[in-house]
Amino acid sequence: MADYNPITPEIIAELSKAVPGRVMVGDSVNPDYARDEMPIYGTRMPEVSIDVLSTEEVAAIVKICYENRIPVTTRGAGTGLVGGCTPICGGVVICTAKMNKILSYDLENFAVTVQPGVLLQQLAEDALTHGCLYPPDPGEKLATLGGNVATNASGMRGVKYGATRDYVKAMTVVLPTGEVTRFGATVSKTSSGYSLLNLMIGSEGTLGIITELTLKLIPAPKATISLIAPFAGLAECISTVPKFKMNHFDPQAIEFFEKEILISSEEYLGKQVFPRRVEGCQVGAYLLITFDGDSQDELEPVIERAAEMLLAEGALDVLVADTPPRLKSAWAARSSFLEGIEEQTKLLDECDVVVPVPRIPEYVVYVDELAKNYDFHVQYFGHAGDGNLHIYTCSNDMEREEFLRQVDSFMASVYQKAMELGGQISGEHGIGMGKVKYLAQAAGPINMALMQGIKQVFDPRMILNPGKVCRSLDC
Amino acid sequence: MNILVCIKQVPDTTEIKIDPVTNTLIRDGVPSVLNPYDGYALESAARIKDNAPETRIVVLTMGPPQAEPALRECLSTAADRAYLLTDRAFGGSDTLATSYILSAAVKQVEELEGKFDMIFCGKQAIDGDTAQVGPELAEHLGLPQVTYALEVLEAAPEQLKLLRETEEGRQVVGVTYPCLATFTKPAFDLRFPSFRRRAAARQAEIVRLGAGDIPRIDLTRSGLKGSPTKVKRTFVPPRKQSGIIIKDDTAENAAAKLCEALRSARVI
Amino acid sequence: MEARTKDLWVFVETKEDGTAKNVGIELLSPGRELADKQGGKLVALVVGCGVEKAAKEAACHGADLVLTVDAPEFREYSTDAYAAALTELLKKYAPTSLLIGATPNGRDLGPRVSCRLNTGLTADCTNLDVDAETGCVCWTRPAFGGNLMAVILCPDNRPQMGTVRPGVFKKPPVSEKEAEIIQEDFRFPAEKIRTRVLENLREAAGELVNLEEAEIIVAGGRGVGSAEGFKLLQELCDVLGGTLGASRAAVDAGWVTHSHQVGQTGKTVGPKLYIACGISGAIQHLAGMTGSDRVVAINKDADAPIFGVADYGIVGDLFDVVPALIAELKKQA
Repeated sequence: MADYNPITPEIIAELSKAVPGRVMVGDSVNPDYARDEMPIYGTRMPEVSIDVLSTEEVAAIVKICYENRIPVTTRGAGTGLVGGCTPICGGVVICTAKMNKILSYDLENFAVTVQPGVLLQQLAEDALTHGCLYPPDPGEKLATLGGNVATNASGMRGVKYGATRDYVKAMTVVLPTGEVTRFGATVSKTSSGYSLLNLMIGSEGTLGIITELTLKLIPAPKATISLIAPFAGLAECISTVPKFKMNHFDPQAIEFFEKEILISSEEYLGKQVFPRRVEGCQVGAYLLITFDGDSQDELEPVIERAAEMLLAEGALDVLVADTPPRLKSAWAARSSFLEGIEEQTKLLDECDVVVPVPRIPEYVVYVDELAKNYDFHVQYFGHAGDGNLHIYTCSNDMEREEFLRQVDSFMASVYQKAMELGGQISGEHGIGMGKVKYLAQAAGPINMALMQGIKQVFDPRMILNPGKVCRSLDC
Repeated sequence: MNILVCIKQVPDTTEIKIDPVTNTLIRDGVPSVLNPYDGYALESAARIKDNAPETRIVVLTMGPPQAEPALRECLSTAADRAYLLTDRAFGGSDTLATSYILSAAVKQVEELEGKFDMIFCGKQAIDGDTAQVGPELAEHLGLPQVTYALEVLEAAPEQLKLLRETEEGRQVVGVTYPCLATFTKPAFDLRFPSFRRRAAARQAEIVRLGAGDIPRIDLTRSGLKGSPTKVKRTFVPPRKQSGIIIKDDTAENAAAKLCEALRSARVI
Repeated sequence: MEARTKDLWVFVETKEDGTAKNVGIELLSPGRELADKQGGKLVALVVGCGVEKAAKEAACHGADLVLTVDAPEFREYSTDAYAAALTELLKKYAPTSLLIGATPNGRDLGPRVSCRLNTGLTADCTNLDVDAETGCVCWTRPAFGGNLMAVILCPDNRPQMGTVRPGVFKKPPVSEKEAEIIQEDFRFPAEKIRTRVLENLREAAGELVNLEEAEIIVAGGRGVGSAEGFKLLQELCDVLGGTLGASRAAVDAGWVTHSHQVGQTGKTVGPKLYIACGISGAIQHLAGMTGSDRVVAINKDADAPIFGVADYGIVGDLFDVVPALIAELKKQA
């Protein structure tokens, strides 16, 4: 465990000199800065918070904290789900949310340079006005790009376009010493030593603080069509998923969900979107699939072939969303699953395992069986197309302690099973503080030691986001 | 039951922006959509058909040939047949003239499709926002009307029961057949088209009716000359001059300043 | 139809207890101005059952003459009975213009009557004037979701008719002399009414949202972030004696019910004070609230369009500002 020093009035004075007027102390710290969206892993107020506006400010703050051995935790919009930005050792919280400028487009290279506090939604809308798409599309549109890169978020379009990692060209980083450096370049390939850029991506603020990002864009697809396939049961719904790749389809997204979770989302939105019965037959589960391309005409034969395949696989019907309002309403229902669950649930934990796509049916059967042994209610949905499953444990009537005890046992089993099937414990949410021990089990001592060694090289005084990813720590 | 649903293809007004330099409407690139309220009307008809499969749903629109996609969307979701009422003589009509032309067309379509038990319309179109064509059509046809309907509760043999939105809340209204109802926004959208229906709708015949196909129409009541109202001019509404902005102050100071200002203006 | 007088009529809709809906009295303000410019009398037409109070209210708010239709079949609004009454009296007196409040019933009734009289009707007007050239009423109304205003004339057909948004005009002051009230003996056979109200489902007590008649509205938008966040706004409402409003974004997100929605697809309001919290100010929202006397905007984003229509703006986090505002109001109360 690292030894941290208390924040003295002298240090506060020094910080205030570096960032005049924005150093918040004690009660004036925004209470949101004690947590992300998953407070079940614990919350802790920092002693000091600073909303930063520039790389220079970040460097100055970090330098002071490095010299005085003060923990520093970086946060953006705080939409994480693993307690990644919770300052569990207190200290200083640096919030980059106000560094929210889109700095420049390099349309010859299909690249955009942004500050880390730009929201995903903000970039998505702005890029479209330039005819470009920024493909990563996690459900949470109000997350910052800095946070997205720090967790290697991916989301719905991962099937076709991959994860955030595939769209980061370069970045400016403030190291834990306060030094400023730049990783990567606006090039299409590189074979130039260890990829420090890729080490930063997904490091959850433990290796450095991202203060500027150059991201890759693609030409925006001109046409998009979604298909909705209701199935009577989950089994035939899930077993259809691997067939897409096997039949040479290249969908942008394949999501699956059961009726129950859809209903809570629709209640949350106050609007019924998907059919619950098809010609007298109760729907049990749905697939939501999106294809994109250069024109509607190009997509028509694709969706025709996909629809025939879905019907042959047992879909009760295949519904088409081919206009902007239709696409919006279909995906709004999908994007509100978490909000729907949160609104109806007092105690909530989650995990986001990823398994090889063909193993999804087997895995889901396992989770269903396992859930029967516990008092909480298990709901899940997922990015079926890339094998990524979000599993939620929900309870409104359990005692907190008992809930945590049972969840711990449940999670150990679901992670164990995921590893057995050749999976990983997190597809896109990260490790944060909530999943450190599971990572240790999954990665094993050799790999954990490598990760800890990397941490040591970047951050010898262990001041940056303590207790996360590869080092558990209780302060 | 035989149901007619009147629809309109409209520009998606939520996508319309104002050119900040010329202060005019930017209409280019604004997508055309089925008027959402007409979608609710069609869905209400479709729900009647869900319970009574022998129900027939006919859709009718008045507009340019470019309005066909909206009719095909109806065919792909719930409609059995679609009519496009299109003629230059109909251009420039206000609500009175439009509803007159529609009423003449309805009588013509009834000769082909049989009498309609119900005519459903959207509450209003989101471009014109008048909410007048539905009631005026009912008047021309001498039908009873229920406006601001949220959903059909029951299409009983002797009366249609509708849930209606009022200023005070909601009410259940019964109306005798034949009747006309206009629909506002319920807690559901028009259903998604099924793949098979959509494929069929892409090929389906859309029946075009021009002035010449409606022998009884009186063209002096159509178009600009049949329209009692005239547009004198249009303009983009001016933005109000901005007031006092309190910025970069603590919440407490800002709140105190605001209360002071509101008190001196005798607002609170 | 030919107009035989230069009179301007205002239709005064009544509630079931026989009192006037606000909009009917409000319309006596522009009605007075238009009648004076056109050189005719201002006549209020009150329809309902037991409408003495409503008639008297119209009589002492600037009308020159009040006509009433007062019978049991008019207690509850019906298209058939009301349209028949209006048509009959308009034919009998032949005024030059008629204003109707753009309430749901007003917008149900207006087109029925104008169509029967083969005349023009302009929907949902927000401004009225007299055209200098023709002497006709200039009806100004929003279209294209509030993005465009259109000025409409009805040059040749009479009466010129329009429905006018509630909350746009203020009630005129109480006049010195009270106008004469004449009861018309028009009846409509109840059995000829083809619609029946089978049941009234009022919102449960406490949930009744009467935004149109509210004097103070505290409204929240996307920035409120959750149903929980609206509780804070409700607290501010309680301190101010106001009513809770919301933007479409907040309603679509499910944080409040549609009955709270202000804007193009919601309600049009005209309170003395409108406090917009976390509302960016999309044109569709502005369309519903720019009739407010005073607008206060609280928003984190200094560039939000809502500040363009605000009399007072506070750039800041509503979760800081609103509690401070509540504390400040309580302190001084």
